[in-house]
Amino acid sequence: MAIEDDVLVIGGGLAGASAALGAARGGASVRLVTHKENTLRNASGLIDVLGYHGSDEPIAEPFEAIPDLPDEHPYRKVGVDAVREALALFDEVVGELYEGGHTERNALSPTYGGRIKPTSRYPTSAAAGLASKEGDTLLVGFETVTAFDAPLAAERLDPSVPFEVRGVTIAFPGDLRSDARITRLARALDADELTERGRRVGTREALAERVAEHLGDAERVGFPAVLGDEEHHEVRASLGGELGVPVFEVPMGPPSLPGMRLEDGLYEALDEEGVRVESGNPVVGYTEEGGRITAVSVDRGRREIPYHADQFVLATGGLVGKGIDSSREGVFEPVFGCHVPQPAERYEWFHDEAFDDQPYARFGVAVDGGLRPLDPEGRPEFSNLRAAGAVLGGYDMAREKSGSGVSLSTGLVAGRRASEDIQ
Amino acid sequence: MSDADHTDEFEPVQVFPTTEMDLRPGADDCYKCSTCDSECPVAAVDDDFPGPKFQGPEQWRLKRKDDAEIDDSVMSCSNCMRCDSACPSGVPLSQMHNTARGSYVENGMDKLSREYIRNRILSNYGTLAWFGSKVPRLTNFLMSSSVVQTVNERVMGITSEREFPEFAQQTFREWWEERGGNATSKKRASEAREQTGRGGAEVESDEKRVAYFHGCYSNYNTPEVGKAMVRVFESFGYEVMVPPQKCSGTPMFANGMLPDARRAAETNVAELSAAIEDGADIIASCTSCSLSLRQEYPELFDLDGIEDVSAHTYEALEYLRIHEDLSGALEESEIDSRKFAYHAPCHARNQGLAGQAIELLDGIEGAEAEDVGDSCSGISGTYGWKEEKYDTSMKIGAEMFHHMEDAEPDAGMTECPTCAMQMEHGTGYEIRHPLEVMEEALVD
Amino acid sequence: MTDRVDALVVGGGSTGCGIARDLAMRGLSVTLVEQGNLTHGTTGRMHGLLHSGGRYAVSDKASARECIEENRVLREIAGHCVEMTGGLFVQLEDDPDEYFERKLEGCRECDIPAEVLTAEEAREREPYLTRDVKRAIAVPDGAVDPFRLCVANAADAVEHGARIETHAPVTDVLVEGGEVVGVEVEHESGPGKRVHKEPGTTEEIRAEHVINATGAWAGRVGEMAGVDVEVRPSKGVMVIMNVRQVDTVVNRCRKKGDADIVVPHETTAILGTTDVEVEDPEDYPEERWEVDLMIETLSELVPILAEARTIRSFWGVRPLYEPPGTGTTDPTDITRDFFLLDHEDRDSLPGMTSIVGGKFTTYRMMAEKISDHVCGKLDVSAECRTAEEPLPGSEDFSILRDYMDEFGLRSPIGRRSVQRLGSRADEVLKTMDPNPVVCDCEAVTRAEIRDAIEGAGSDLNAVRIRTRASMGNCQGGFCCHRMASELHPEYDAETVSAAWDELVQERWKGERHALWGEGLSQAALNYQLHGTTMSLDRAPEVAEFAAFDSGAETATGGGKSDGD
Repeated sequence: MAIEDDVLVIGGGLAGASAALGAARGGASVRLVTHKENTLRNASGLIDVLGYHGSDEPIAEPFEAIPDLPDEHPYRKVGVDAVREALALFDEVVGELYEGGHTERNALSPTYGGRIKPTSRYPTSAAAGLASKEGDTLLVGFETVTAFDAPLAAERLDPSVPFEVRGVTIAFPGDLRSDARITRLARALDADELTERGRRVGTREALAERVAEHLGDAERVGFPAVLGDEEHHEVRASLGGELGVPVFEVPMGPPSLPGMRLEDGLYEALDEEGVRVESGNPVVGYTEEGGRITAVSVDRGRREIPYHADQFVLATGGLVGKGIDSSREGVFEPVFGCHVPQPAERYEWFHDEAFDDQPYARFGVAVDGGLRPLDPEGRPEFSNLRAAGAVLGGYDMAREKSGSGVSLSTGLVAGRRASEDIQ
Repeated sequence: MSDADHTDEFEPVQVFPTTEMDLRPGADDCYKCSTCDSECPVAAVDDDFPGPKFQGPEQWRLKRKDDAEIDDSVMSCSNCMRCDSACPSGVPLSQMHNTARGSYVENGMDKLSREYIRNRILSNYGTLAWFGSKVPRLTNFLMSSSVVQTVNERVMGITSEREFPEFAQQTFREWWEERGGNATSKKRASEAREQTGRGGAEVESDEKRVAYFHGCYSNYNTPEVGKAMVRVFESFGYEVMVPPQKCSGTPMFANGMLPDARRAAETNVAELSAAIEDGADIIASCTSCSLSLRQEYPELFDLDGIEDVSAHTYEALEYLRIHEDLSGALEESEIDSRKFAYHAPCHARNQGLAGQAIELLDGIEGAEAEDVGDSCSGISGTYGWKEEKYDTSMKIGAEMFHHMEDAEPDAGMTECPTCAMQMEHGTGYEIRHPLEVMEEALVD
Repeated sequence: MTDRVDALVVGGGSTGCGIARDLAMRGLSVTLVEQGNLTHGTTGRMHGLLHSGGRYAVSDKASARECIEENRVLREIAGHCVEMTGGLFVQLEDDPDEYFERKLEGCRECDIPAEVLTAEEAREREPYLTRDVKRAIAVPDGAVDPFRLCVANAADAVEHGARIETHAPVTDVLVEGGEVVGVEVEHESGPGKRVHKEPGTTEEIRAEHVINATGAWAGRVGEMAGVDVEVRPSKGVMVIMNVRQVDTVVNRCRKKGDADIVVPHETTAILGTTDVEVEDPEDYPEERWEVDLMIETLSELVPILAEARTIRSFWGVRPLYEPPGTGTTDPTDITRDFFLLDHEDRDSLPGMTSIVGGKFTTYRMMAEKISDHVCGKLDVSAECRTAEEPLPGSEDFSILRDYMDEFGLRSPIGRRSVQRLGSRADEVLKTMDPNPVVCDCEAVTRAEIRDAIEGAGSDLNAVRIRTRASMGNCQGGFCCHRMASELHPEYDAETVSAAWDELVQERWKGERHALWGEGLSQAALNYQLHGTTMSLDRAPEVAEFAAFDSGAETATGGGKSDGD
């Protein structure tokens, strides 16, 4: 048999990466297969652990609040210590890309919708802009980046934070078409392209010039998250240098450059850890023997290739990542057909207000203490299958602001347990 | 992120008066996440190109039956197909682009324009190469002459920045015939099978048979890749057949020359179907060729046997990795110590093959392989040859050049002949195909 | 304001707006009041079919004749709201021949051009039709955008001096000396264009004559005046598909029944419908069986519908009416004809006329008849001109003109913009400022959004119905905030926030009826975008900022600024 590993992780997002790292550090040979690009670039790049529970008041000490969560919550399955360890692993792996590891407290980040959000780790590019750090702030938007209206975000933020926030909209230097993508702006800053023929001024300097006239007393300047891709450190440094105050990005997306940078960082770590990564084809089926999965089949366009392993981790994502799918008849987990608890009546999947406590937001597989998906009778579906991340049910990542923390911690535990169980 | 049940798959039908197909239902899968845009190498450097989301699901969804018009920006798409491998939701992006481009060329482009004629010539590289290979020395001499290059750029719009690939003194097919064709291969394969199985691989029967789709480039320019393929497969006991064939169509899709591609596909599908009847699987050494036969053929053409050809086509290493204990065999092998900077072609990525070369090379003693990142090389076949696209092509490639230089390799490595051209052009390194290294490791 | 207007129209649907336009063009002073947005009631909740009359050609020939007549008029006066898709009555193998023949005869009797197509011809025209097609009748059905049509009528009425007040529910009908003399309205945000957060006011509007054009709500207005208007509201579901599976209106050619029509509408296809009598036009159950029935039954006709993506569903209530004592039990048997109730004749209450029943396609004709009637009452002799004068946007309108380069837009965006704006395209789209696309799904640019805001105030739902922004795949997930941004800074953050929230909730209202497959994925993505990334679901206030992490001392990107 051609393709065989100790642990096969299905899914290449935060949970899959964390699982693969966990398993590899446990000494297993690990392969990670992922279908398409993961949803990291849909997310803002902030690492939320737990922002709200029970009330509208944001949580400052997330670890203190975890024990209050209901029993079916993934955090309760893995325990507070595992969450701490997962964040420590994250800090180690992403290095300078992130901050926030110096404390167990949440920070408050401004959002591009002009609200604030409790979060545990933030990209270095966003660090200067924390709402929980005082400092009068200028937000800068670009005429053609319709997703971020800086004056509106500023006016919405200003009354709720203990410092002044102003906003201004300017034209991005360089005469780009009005439908230029975010990646195009980032690239112009990365390469510091000349803005006009004949005028030897780079995009960074030209941008700083345009912002400078609006700077006033601002002690920091925030931009939509388009400040460079590969060269983001340099881009921020040169803008900050020109302006004389720290410069930060307001996390946004999709598409999210901070998410893409995080993805690059994680995949580098996987590579260093010796994890074999394959992307491009979906896992569509499996073979089983006596309650154990022996192999999964990977669809390579009109034929299926078996991938053998001893242990498997399902980290295919939730409704957005298509790790959980649905039809008019019901909600299901498409790879292994694991049971997904749900109301039988489709009209009980939702509530009538958009931001009600939505039942559909909690859809996912139920697991035992070892993160093994459970059948309707509460027995493990397979003895060597674990689930991690958004494919898990029992939590609402949007309402709680807990998505990344759940993915990291359940990923780590699933990967670790898988490596321990290798036969 | 599995999409196990493609229950929402649709069969495109003829609706629009001027395009082959109605791809509007493909827009159902789009949930606007823009992952495709963020992966598009062209949109990142060229704001005249509004990105795959607009080109694909948005443009299609806005169509009514009487709307024939296609936005001309579709011609800036390089057909790298990274959007396909990006989309988490199964939108048939490249199919939409290919179809729209075909329709644009058919209806929106002046057939006497320089651009049309240039694109037609570039996309029919196989024909050009056939002439060139008849008198390789003369052609090589002419093509490298600065006068010819200047004329090409001024008159044809083909950039003078690039050097034309050299034609080999002997094509792969000439070598193959001289070597005794299929009869020789049969013999060698059976000899290999009689020896102790490679790396413990099981020798099942004498029915191990593959048909090699060499494509234009291995035939006319780099026959050493084709020879390596033949020798490696024979060493695993496979009898190789080399059926008659035409261009896989890749450059034609990229230029919207769908009628040309279809004509070539008719020949290829007929010939390859016959090989499949004879018990062979189809092997390509060029990842664009294998992608075309696998994905674009059934998406764009409705020919007898085309699904079957698609289902039986493999990239060379992929095939051995699935059917043989390739990594086992490589672990026992060795080459002269060298470091390779490997670039995964976008079209390999699209087939889920981006990681295999590194994984296999890592197992060979003496070989060191470094992945130079997941960016696009920027040449995308004929794209980077166009005078007006040259700068864009080099901007896209910059990241990869940079990583290659950082790696300080002895040579570059990739499966795609045009990526190889770009890598060499951008860095000066000599570029090898993984099969050539396999040959060195596995064949005495 | 105590000035007495000649005519006060209650109801901003197609009939009310049509009447306001007609009367204003005849020189009367007119005020129209509407409780919600224009089209808030039934007009905004229909399938957008421009009848050829074919649907009534068997059961109601008088209606059929009116339809084909008005169909021709609307093509002339409202070209930019109408798409002449053509329509098919499709007979499947098991459908009775007899009905098909009667339909064909009926069309011919009513002067509706009708052509019989073989199965092959029908499938050539509409390739996604089932292979079980036996034959079809082609008729000149079309698709019409009721929002744009209604808004164009209102805009033209304003052009001719009328006053239009939306979000102004009638709280009382003023009856003095046994005569209706006006109404009392509550301006939810003051008179004029709607601006969120403006304080409400009330106003008495006096008029020579009051026209109750409130459709399914006519009974309520009647009650305020002390008269009985026996409207029998009947609900029907419309299920919206994400793309057009058909480019022709496709009807099932069999005797009336639920789920028998697919209408291509702008970028979507609309499946309809059910017919169930309800008590209250505002409060009735929106049920799963109705949605499922549309998909299951209509996929017999167009099989791809079974797998295609549904983006939302909505319900409308037909303002059915039958004269007292008719006693029809099945709502599908109630006539679709309209009735003019002269309350002076009927209830000895002068000063008010109600219009009930009827259908969208003949709105103009109904408006003409009512206007004739009102003019008779007021002794005005002006002639109706609404059938000849094009609506704003349809003057010299030709979709074929070369608009692409003119506005610097990508061709499909330019094409869609012009399809929506008609002859107003120049005025709206020619701008020196950057004009990025705000709604990607429907290709709506900033210039078009801003134009709509000029007409609609801070009301993003009114902007939506004018432009279609937020009506595509993502159902506002990626554009509600972008649309809201366009209100700012003209409107302050508080106003913008209220308008934004309202739009998000309105989108969810329809989206929740399409929560499976791609629709559920989209909903989850939108929820995460709005909840996780933007944190819109939470109040911004924080009790104690100091309890939170303010960054590490050594923060590399943060510099050493820790505030004051």
